[in-house]
Amino acid sequence: MQQPAPPKKKKKIKVPRVVNGVETMVEIEVDEDAGPGWGPNDKHMLLNHRLTRVDGPLKVTGSARYTYDVRLPNMLYGRIRRCPHAHARLTKFDSSAAAKIAGVKAIIQTPLKEFRFAGSPIAAVAATTPEIAEDATRAIVVEFEVLPHVVRADDSIRPDAPKVVDEESNLQQKDKRGDPEKVAAAFKVCDAIVEAEYRTPRIHHACLETHGMVVDYSGGDSATVYATTQGTFTIPKDAADALSLPESAVTATVQHMGGGFGSKFGIGIEGMLACKLSKQTKAPVKLMLTRHDEFVMAGNRSGSWQKLKAGVKKDGTLVALQATQYRLGGLGGGSQAGQPYVYHADESYREVFALHTNEDSSIAMRAPGHPQASFAMDSLMDELAYKIGMDPVAFRKKNLRDQVYHRQLDRGAREIGWEKRNPTPGGNAGPLKRGIGCAVGTWGGGGNNQCKVDVTVSRDGSVLVAVGTQDLGTGTRTFTRAIVAEELGLQIGNVVEQIGNSKLGSANPSGGSTTAASLSPSVKDAAIKTRLAVAEKISPILGDAKPEEIVFAGGKVSAGTKSLAWKQACAALPAAGVTAHGEWRSDLQGRGVHGVCFAEVEVDVETGKVRPIKMVQVQDGGLPLNRLTMESQINGGMIQSLGMAFWEGRVVDAKLGMQLNPGFGDYKLPGSLEMPEMIPIIDDEDKREVVIGIAEACIIPALGALANAVFSACGLRVRELPITPDKILMGLNGRKTA
Amino acid sequence: MKKSRESTDKRTRPYDPSRRSFLKGVGIAGAGAAVADKLWVEAGTKENDEQPQNSRVLSGTVPLVLEINGQKRTVQVEPRTTLLNTLRNHLDPAVTGPKLVCDMGTCGACTVLLDGKPAYSCLVLAVDAVRKQITTVEGLGSLEKLNAVQGAFVDKDALMCGFCTPGFVTTISALLKKNSNPTLTEVREACKGNFCRCGTYPRVFEAALAAAKNATGNS
Repeated sequence: MQQPAPPKKKKKIKVPRVVNGVETMVEIEVDEDAGPGWGPNDKHMLLNHRLTRVDGPLKVTGSARYTYDVRLPNMLYGRIRRCPHAHARLTKFDSSAAAKIAGVKAIIQTPLKEFRFAGSPIAAVAATTPEIAEDATRAIVVEFEVLPHVVRADDSIRPDAPKVVDEESNLQQKDKRGDPEKVAAAFKVCDAIVEAEYRTPRIHHACLETHGMVVDYSGGDSATVYATTQGTFTIPKDAADALSLPESAVTATVQHMGGGFGSKFGIGIEGMLACKLSKQTKAPVKLMLTRHDEFVMAGNRSGSWQKLKAGVKKDGTLVALQATQYRLGGLGGGSQAGQPYVYHADESYREVFALHTNEDSSIAMRAPGHPQASFAMDSLMDELAYKIGMDPVAFRKKNLRDQVYHRQLDRGAREIGWEKRNPTPGGNAGPLKRGIGCAVGTWGGGGNNQCKVDVTVSRDGSVLVAVGTQDLGTGTRTFTRAIVAEELGLQIGNVVEQIGNSKLGSANPSGGSTTAASLSPSVKDAAIKTRLAVAEKISPILGDAKPEEIVFAGGKVSAGTKSLAWKQACAALPAAGVTAHGEWRSDLQGRGVHGVCFAEVEVDVETGKVRPIKMVQVQDGGLPLNRLTMESQINGGMIQSLGMAFWEGRVVDAKLGMQLNPGFGDYKLPGSLEMPEMIPIIDDEDKREVVIGIAEACIIPALGALANAVFSACGLRVRELPITPDKILMGLNGRKTA
Repeated sequence: MKKSRESTDKRTRPYDPSRRSFLKGVGIAGAGAAVADKLWVEAGTKENDEQPQNSRVLSGTVPLVLEINGQKRTVQVEPRTTLLNTLRNHLDPAVTGPKLVCDMGTCGACTVLLDGKPAYSCLVLAVDAVRKQITTVEGLGSLEKLNAVQGAFVDKDALMCGFCTPGFVTTISALLKKNSNPTLTEVREACKGNFCRCGTYPRVFEAALAAAKNATGNS
């Protein structure tokens, strides 16, 4: 039996952390012999530069192989039959006609008999082509006892509403914080009060590659699962269970994946069905959801309904906040950050509820709960600022304790031209009115210790970095290579990465913006150890220099006056090359980021149409591993927020209980014609020498910024997203006639 | 017999190829002007075309010869099979650059060139693509030799997850062939039938303009 390693000596160091939007220094423990850190952010050779992504050429030529592109010999295609009712019990299921269609190989039922949302899967079919599988799903004869349902929050909260789950109230309290009596007292001494309700609809991830997988199992001892997933290692256990195999018998692989945004963890019900179809037919099965499936059963961002009341002093101090927050997660609990979000209120009281409806459960979506909370809070802050006649930027600074926001607000204001805006809402002449708004957001983005990385240097000088992690299009492959290349003094092209396979070193799932902060420390640790191991081996040919004093730079390995080209040096390695293993180091990553967004829009008060003009986001994130891909992510966050602000939202018919817009023809995504000028700004004033994830942070503040810009432009406060022309016209009209 | 829309109850004939194309037609109409640019002209021509090959009723599976990226490829498909599904599911080896995303002509991820013009391959039946030159993203450049648009996409980071990228690259490559020096507005117009969810548009525009500059030598 192997002896357990003796516990490593630890040392304590102080690092900056942001908690609830406020930066403080905290003490963390690290190994005493931990290698060097990243060094100053502006002293890197590759990191913090603009690195084109290493899988770019594969993706632009159509050579990148996604799960959807996998085609295996004798592979069958799976399709799902869904329940059309929001609440129903299955009374008849007859698949005999479907089974007779030529090419149909298997039909299986889901274990459920009662369905609680329109879109719930009833059965799945495997057939030789997707077209035949589709025929078969339609040929299954089903009958239902239709049961009462409720799909609108306003209906669900009524005492006589149908129960979404028997014997349980549709309204479940999830959180209660603060002292209501102190808040009531604080309201008595404030100079101005705003009370308002804000709503956001359910939003779809709309991953271009739908959920699904290819299960390669033909009977026997092992299986390979090709999954479009954010977590390579979230697949094997569940797939193995569905296939009745041991976990170690299943290999999960994901080389490229077409978008997840929080929705792709685990095998899902579609994966479970694919496994069962494969097991039954002893053939590989590909089951990718159709676009319609994707909308109605692959999850969504929970909606929100927030009743807020806030009081301020004349000098702009936020003294009281009272919040009743409903998370609209359908069958699920939903998510919503607690108010007053990142702002400081002297006294605050909040009650948070999950309000259930007969809709599919919401799931994680890029910064779960934050955009909803940020939109409501930053709209409210804007209303308060205008009510007391204070500059909205100054008003925010007054109530943000973390100075980082102050400098970011100043930077964003400069970039958008805040000073030049008309401070009177709707004050510009003519029917096309421009306005500017802003908002702030925060996120964690710290890592965890799940990543195990191996770096191998071969005698021919080739370098391989291997870890089972996944690249969602965030640039994981690129920074993984870059960290190793930089440490060894090489170029990015000298290193090859191997990722996306559960038989490689373990890695955490990409949720919560944790990938960079979990993976990069392990890669760095492996790279440092590789450097030292190579140095040790070649020390004899460099005059027995001490390994830690051998310099790896510019494709050369040097000590004193002696210098060798990389390949020359590697020729001195043992036949098997050198392999080093890296583990996570908490001192190389951090937690907590700040971001602000400024937006300028133009509202046509005659048609209600809003044209986004310009968006600026200032985002910090410690050490930017790759400026090019980080900026792309900031753009992406702003654009997804833009969609949520003006066009996106699930539309559900209250009576039918079904979604009316389950396709891109009716669910409007932001497109090329709507794009404003976009300025992603990396906040280099952040000197923290740690890696922090920013993917989620950058989707948060744009909603509030855009809604506030609409108010600044036309003087109308739209408190329910999306801000569509009808709401603007009705609002402007109502205001005039009131 | 012409592909009649009115005379037969299509619900009783699930295998009728025109059923599939009828549904596709609804997709076209529903998607509006953006799609009309790309395909309606093609489909409209077929509608009024009295040539005999458009009047046959096809059933079972049919052998086809398709000219894809300059190569003649043979394939056997049900007549209702879209060009996209034929490329991806039936050709061996498969052509998987064009992606299946919406399957109803709204997103552009499946864009291919038919005789040089961008078309949604999820709205074209394979049987209607016979005798046309089909170019997919694989035919525009290779890993060894990226075309100007592909190179610019990499340089400007005009992609993230990359699932929409083949469609954008194909659309913009066709634009630059027609208009070697487009304005930003023309680039936006050309891309209006392509969706990206990660949010790469600003850099797609940048890449398109940079590719035009590189290709024409304008500076």
